[in-house]
Amino acid sequence: MGISLSKLTEKTNIWPWLLLAPLGIYMLIFFVVPLAEVAIMSFTEPKVSLANYQKVLTGALYQRVFLNTFVTAAFVTLCCLLVGYPLAYLMAHSKPRTAMLILLLVTMSFWTSFLVRTYSWMVLLGNNGPLIAFLEMIGFDKPPQLLFTRFSSTLAMVHILAPYMIMNIYTVMKKIDPALIRSAESLGARGWSLFRHVYLPLTAPGIANGSVLVFVICLGFYVTPVLLGSPREQMIAGLIGHQIEEFLAFGLGSAMAMILLVVTLIILTIYHRRFGLDKLWG
Amino acid sequence: MNTFMRWAGFIVVLFIAAPLVIVVPMSFSNASSLQFPPPGYWLGYYRAYFTSVDWLIPTWNSILIATATTILTMALVVPATFALVRHKFRGKGFADLMMLMPMAVPHIVMAVGYYSYFGDLGLVHSHLGVILAHTCLSVPIAFLVLSANLKGFDRNFERAAQSLGASPAKTFLHVTLPILRPGLVISSLFAFIQSFDETVVAIFISGRDAETLPRKMFDSIRQEADPVIAVISTLLFFVVLLGIAAPYFASALRSRAPKPSRPAAAH
Repeated sequence: MGISLSKLTEKTNIWPWLLLAPLGIYMLIFFVVPLAEVAIMSFTEPKVSLANYQKVLTGALYQRVFLNTFVTAAFVTLCCLLVGYPLAYLMAHSKPRTAMLILLLVTMSFWTSFLVRTYSWMVLLGNNGPLIAFLEMIGFDKPPQLLFTRFSSTLAMVHILAPYMIMNIYTVMKKIDPALIRSAESLGARGWSLFRHVYLPLTAPGIANGSVLVFVICLGFYVTPVLLGSPREQMIAGLIGHQIEEFLAFGLGSAMAMILLVVTLIILTIYHRRFGLDKLWG
Repeated sequence: MNTFMRWAGFIVVLFIAAPLVIVVPMSFSNASSLQFPPPGYWLGYYRAYFTSVDWLIPTWNSILIATATTILTMALVVPATFALVRHKFRGKGFADLMMLMPMAVPHIVMAVGYYSYFGDLGLVHSHLGVILAHTCLSVPIAFLVLSANLKGFDRNFERAAQSLGASPAKTFLHVTLPILRPGLVISSLFAFIQSFDETVVAIFISGRDAETLPRKMFDSIRQEADPVIAVISTLLFFVVLLGIAAPYFASALRSRAPKPSRPAAAH
């Protein structure tokens, strides 16, 4: 009996392979090969050498851009957390009607194109915009330039990426058993202490999820930093685009792309080992 | 603590909401550049959008490309999802992971790859090129939605149909597909939106001939900030609002006390 059963399960079934084949071949041709081409170009353009990597890893300009990218991504992640946590809390602990309206708003924001939200920030922060007018009203003679600075691109990125953080934290908060909070209170935990020792640790998985997602998306962010940021403070993706479009420097662009890819994959691999990649997006 | 969180939460609501709604009054503005509050109101930029070939062709290109991408994505993903959810085989873990990979790779990296690779194949500046690239990028989201649906599928329905004499093909057509329909619809919708909104790859490979709406908007914002963008933003805003609010209203109509369900966006 045991033998026949194991034979039955070991019998190679052709069906799953047939069903997978079209997508597998497609992904090989239109995903693996283009990626491999980036990897190859990084070593062979314009000639076979490690020169591209040497230049990218040691050049002052490139080092500054890499550093700027990481600092920006970390800062945006922190801001998203500071912005997202209270909002998720408000959603998780409000009356159903209020919670539903906020959820509607966050969902709206999530589904609204990056470009639309980037454009909105151009209006809000522009020289003829409401924020400058407000600054003039409260007494600034010459309000500072807001648009095309580190400030404007960071603010817009926080706004664009916050929904990812909010949804991840909210999902975890909704699952917290109120009995846990009540029993902590009955044992004497109050206010800050209750939050620090009971509530915050319970929401940690949501924070970890949201942070990894926001950080990784921010590392490779192209559109918003290019449109709203200062040209002097580029991020990696912007510089890659610049190298390709302006200088046709495929070798340098590919080497930077490979570094961005490797860093992204390392972060996601660590995440995958601990939580599983399919959890990241919901 | 509680009060502090609530106040902070309400401020964040304003921060999230302001940029979403500001495009609506902007679209009726008669200013020729970014100015808020608008000096006056008219419908001129709506007329400009609906009569300008420069904007209508990219809109049409985007719809065409997103539709073709959706069809191709579903044709590839549906069978693959059945294989991955319903069968156990060696290498399944690897295959599962590969399905998600296009989501893990930054789009700018794919853009560099496609720019060079499609250049060799003569596919840059063509609709086909953008469709092929977008399909690849739409696979993970379509797979995630569909596999979640298929995992929750009660196979007893199929067994019941077959025990009553239905052939496997008939069972699939009359039992499996109808039950999976909501999952298939949402999965297709996500693939469509992924393609319709995709900007970075389109900037690099769509060129003038297959210019998509996001690419046109990106160029326009970068160069002159054409006020027509506010019109498009407003139209997109209302499309999204309609798409999200419709299920809410439907459920509100069905039950008097609607519960906040987790939105599709989180999947």
